[in-house]
Formats: sequence, structure tokens, C-alpha cells
Amino acid sequence: MNRGGYLVRRLASALATVAAAAVINFVLFRAAPGDAATQYQMCRTCSAEFRDYLRAELGLDRPLLEQFWLYVSALLRGDLGHSFQTRRPVWDELAGPLANTLPMVGLGLAFGLALGLVIGVVAAWRRGTAADWAPLSASMFLSVLPIQWIGLMLLLLFGGMLPTGGISDPYLRFSDPSWWQVLGDRLEHLALPSLAIGLAWCGSWALIARSALVGALGEDYILTARAKGLTSWRIVRRYALPNSLLPITTLIFLTFGYIVAGSLLVETVFSYPGIGLALYQAVQNRDYAVLQGGFLLLTAAIVVANLLADLLYLKLDPRIRT
Amino acid sequence: MSAPLLEVRDLHVWFDLPQGRVHALRGLDVTVGAGEGLGLVGESGCGKTTAILAMMGLLPPSATVAGQVLLNGENILAKGEASVRRHRWTDLAMVFQGAMNAFSPVATVGAQIAEPMRLHRVAEGKQATARVRELLELVGIHPDKASRYPHEFSGGMRQRAAIAMALACEPKVLLADEPTTALDVIVQAQVLDLLDRLRTELGLAVVLVTHDLPVVGRVCGRAAVMYAGRVAENADIGDLHLRPGHPYSRALFSGGAIPGAPPRLDEEWPGCAFAPRCEHARDRCHTEAPRLVPLGARQSSACHLAASIAGGTA
Ligand SMILES: Nc1ncnc2c1ncn2[C@@H]1O[C@H](COP(=O)(O)OP(=O)(O)O)[C@@H](O)[C@H]1O
Ligand SMILES: [Mg+2]
Repeated sequence: MNRGGYLVRRLASALATVAAAAVINFVLFRAAPGDAATQYQMCRTCSAEFRDYLRAELGLDRPLLEQFWLYVSALLRGDLGHSFQTRRPVWDELAGPLANTLPMVGLGLAFGLALGLVIGVVAAWRRGTAADWAPLSASMFLSVLPIQWIGLMLLLLFGGMLPTGGISDPYLRFSDPSWWQVLGDRLEHLALPSLAIGLAWCGSWALIARSALVGALGEDYILTARAKGLTSWRIVRRYALPNSLLPITTLIFLTFGYIVAGSLLVETVFSYPGIGLALYQAVQNRDYAVLQGGFLLLTAAIVVANLLADLLYLKLDPRIRT
Repeated sequence: MSAPLLEVRDLHVWFDLPQGRVHALRGLDVTVGAGEGLGLVGESGCGKTTAILAMMGLLPPSATVAGQVLLNGENILAKGEASVRRHRWTDLAMVFQGAMNAFSPVATVGAQIAEPMRLHRVAEGKQATARVRELLELVGIHPDKASRYPHEFSGGMRQRAAIAMALACEPKVLLADEPTTALDVIVQAQVLDLLDRLRTELGLAVVLVTHDLPVVGRVCGRAAVMYAGRVAENADIGDLHLRPGHPYSRALFSGGAIPGAPPRLDEEWPGCAFAPRCEHARDRCHTEAPRLVPLGARQSSACHLAASIAGGTA
């Protein structure tokens, strides 16, 4: 398999996935009972004429095929439409929340990974001992708890020390802060939501890491490595870990998409203005345009995460590289 | 015969399984000297792989080991994992059953051959690289292939590279567990010739495990015939063919099918393990276990009727 071919195929399948999601998005929203004009919250009591006017403005009175064409050509121009609620472009409505969510999820991922990998690697290395099952069961226990509950416990524990909501200190800008202060403030606000994500996910990652490592430890080359006189820790580090990074990476990137899509619960607990909260509000407002755009963005986020995993594969697996 | 370099004395191995205890090795005795080839032959399940792994202290935690593995008179199993580790690859190296997968797919073949050199301070840096090239050349692989990954090698090449890797630290004994089973006939011949050459040219002691009898003669002058975790007979290959001293070796080397099946190793029995399948078995064979006794200068057999079997009168 050659490298260029691999990349082209991955890229093509990523694009195809996004395209399919866009079509499904279009179909789903049209297949739902009623349309934007009947469901429009502010329109509950308005007249039939006003509904027709709205439909015309939203383009809902045109034939489906034409609507589809308009939708696709707008998408291709990068136009996600306008929010029913605020009249601003959907992209402007969502870009900010998405930019808030990504660092939070990124930090949560880094935190959960660090914890999960350490627990998983030690468990595989010392399998069958207390160092195997004790930290593993503790992390598994955390991961079966609802993430909002973990969030609430963190609020109780750290309430006095760290900010418990929002994304930055609204008063900070009056004190003419340095660049470092702004960054520190952002990190403080990120800390608890990220910690909640990390704690909620580290158990699954520990389990993934452990089982991938234990699988690799059963391979023939491990016996050879032992016969060569390597210590068990060195075998884990030099043989089992590099060989199990492939399954670990895939699963982690897959969960990345999940976390972004599921960020709503954490964002609600910490009143964090991210994509989850924005979509929640869009549901409340029956803001179809924002919902449609949001779903597409989330799909794109998951597809991009998978694409990154594929790129990492190139780096990790010599069998693809050549 | 040269002085024994490696001597295995009364080696026992038990595996603890949820269903019970398997007594896989039941007092194994073998010796091999420098430059000698010893075949370890016997039906599948008789404990050949277990014996090899036990000699390097590589059995899983479920195994209990008793007995001695003497290397130049020193029992290398006496002081546990840390002390046996020093002997791995520097004194005893091995090519495993399924050595095609002896290399990790994510590192280059050269790096994996060089690794034990650094670990045991045999060679480092440029010197190690040069030695890797030498070793690859020795086993008939182009030295530039050192920078390639295992998946770029054919099965036979990987097998030869595994042998090159085993030679990295100039071991005294090479333990090869069915090194040719997965290979086609031509590659099989290459690998066996290579082992034979290494034995004569480097003075390597080779213990070759196989259930394929023609293979043994290509590398080894002698063979230990194993049955149910013990040596049934120990002799020169020629004698095993012409005047075997044990009914089991006679049946094995005459190539005919042996009726019945080997005993279950989770059971104990008072007599000879082979007695239930043996056409010569007497009452004594079912009640008293035969010990391995000399039958000549270079032959010993664990059979009550050894002399008459070898003499052809039984
Ligand atoms: N890891 C293990 N756990 C339990 N039993 C084992 C293990 N390895 C080998 N055995 C048992 O020991 C006996 C000898 O096996 P083995 O040494 O693999 O034979 P051979 O290599 O001669 O085919 C068999 O009965 C096998 O079931
Ligand atoms: Mg075997």
C-alpha cells in the first residue's frame, strides 16, 4: 500500500462522509413533522399570512429539489444560512461556542489520557497484582458515574478555589491584564470542566490501553524480547506500547468526537458557553438553521478527528508508511 | 564426546490450571557439548517446547519448575529471574516456534538485532551496526536490509534474520524450537544448512526441537527421544535408526503409525508411560517406572527390556 494512495483514499472517504451527513441533515429536517414556520416559537400565535411570508423568506415554499440545490450551493460557498432567532449567520452563531468547546475538550482529553494511559500501562505491566486491579477499578467506577454528577462533585470540592462557571472573568479586562493573566484566567475557567471530562473518560481509556497492551504482550515477539534478557518494564515500553498504540489511537480519536458532541452536560453544569449549550438553546428556540448547521459542524469535527487518527497511523505503523 | 556445556538434570515442570495440575516435564535429563547438535524429538505435546522454555526460565507464572539447568556446571535457575536474565542471549539464545513473528512489526530488523548487544554491553553504536551487517550477511541476507521492517521480509528471510538475531551476543547454546515447520522445503533446507554451518564454524551447541525426524539428522549427531515429559532414549541418530533401544524410538523411527495416544499429563502412573501402547510390555512395565540407563558408550534407554530391544531379540 502506498502512502499517497492511503492519504487520498482517507481524504475522499472523509469528504464523502461529510457530504452524506449534509444530505441526511437536509432530509431529516424536512421529514420532521411541520416546518420551521409552524414550529417557529415566536410564531405560535401569528396569522396564516405571516406564516406564508416566513415560508417564502426561508425558501420553504419552493420545490424540494430546488431547496436542496439552494442548500448545497450555499454550503459549498461556506454559507450555513441564518439563525431564525437572531438573523445572524449561523456560522457566526456557532464559531464562538465551538472555539470555546475545542480547548476544553482538548484539555479534558489530555488530562484523561495522561491518567488513563498511566493506569492502563501499569495495569498491563503488573497484571494480576493490586497495581493492576485497584487503580483500574477506581477509574472504571468514575467512568460509570454520570459526567454531570462528577461535575457537581468537582463544584463542591473546588468551588472556593477555582471559578465554577463561564469562560473568563468579566472584570479582568478593567485591570488592563497582561497576556499571561488572560491565559491564566482562561485556563482557570477550563480547569474544572476539563477535569470532569478527564475523570469521566480515563476509566475507558485505561481499559482500552490495558487490553491493547495485554493483547500485544501475548505476541510471539514478546517472548523473543524476554529471551533477549529485557526487563518486563522495558518490554512494555519498547514492544507492547508501540504495538498497541494503533488500536489505542483509533479508539481515542473516536471518543474525541463523542466528547465534542456530548459536551452539553458538562457545559450545562459549568455554564460554559460552548457548542453544546448553543445547540441546547437552539433546540429551545426551535432554531432549525442553527441546529442544522450545528449538526453538520459536529459531524465535521468527528470526521476531522478520524482523519487526524489516520494521519497519525502513517507515523505509527511502518506497514502503511511504505 | 566433548565436556557437557549444557546439562539438564531431573527437570520437572508443573502447570497449574483451573482444571488441575499438569505434570508436563517429569524428570528430563539431557546434555549437549560445544559444537554438538542435539535433537529433541517426540510427538506433539510430549514437552519439547516446555523443556526449551524452562531452560531459559521463560515459562509463564502458572508453571512450577524443579531440577537443574547447568551451564558450565552452574545452575542458572537457582537464583531466580534476575540472575537467569544475565544468561539470556549471552549464553543461551533461542529461535522460537513461529520465529517468523519474532520481530516487532514497528521497529526495523536491524534495531531489533542490535538491541541485545547494547543491553548486554557486547557492542554499541557503529560497532553494533557493523555487527548487525555481519550477522545478516552470515545468514545470507543483504546487510542493507537492516534498515527494513519485518513485513518487508519473506517468511524464510525472517526466519534467517531471527537466527541472526539469536547470534547477536555470541551465545554458546542455540535452542531452536521447530525452526523450519512453517517453511517450504527449499527454505527449510537453507535454514538447516545454516544451523549446521553455525554449529561447525562457530562451535555453537545446537538443541534442535522437531517432530520431523529427517530434519534432525541434517544438523544433529545425536537425539533425545522424548515421551510424556521424559527422555525415553538418548542416542546417535544412526543408532536410533538401526538399533533403537526403546520400543517408542523404534516405532517413531520406523515411520509407522503408533496405535493409541500418549498419556494425559494431568495424571500420575506407577509404571512406564509407554507401556499401554507397547507391544512388548510385561507386568513389570505397568508397575515400575524404568530409569534411563546406559546401553553402550553413546546410548541410553529408559526401558526394562532395552538390551533385548536393541539386540533385536524382542
Ligand atoms: N502454558 C501452559 N499452560 C498449561 N499447560 C501447558 C502450557 N504449555 C504447555 N502445556 C502442556 O504441557 C504439555 C507439553 O506441551 P509442549 O511443551 O508445548 O509440547 P511440544 O512442544 O512437545 O509439542 C502439553 O500437555 C501442554 O498441554
Ligand atoms: Mg512445541
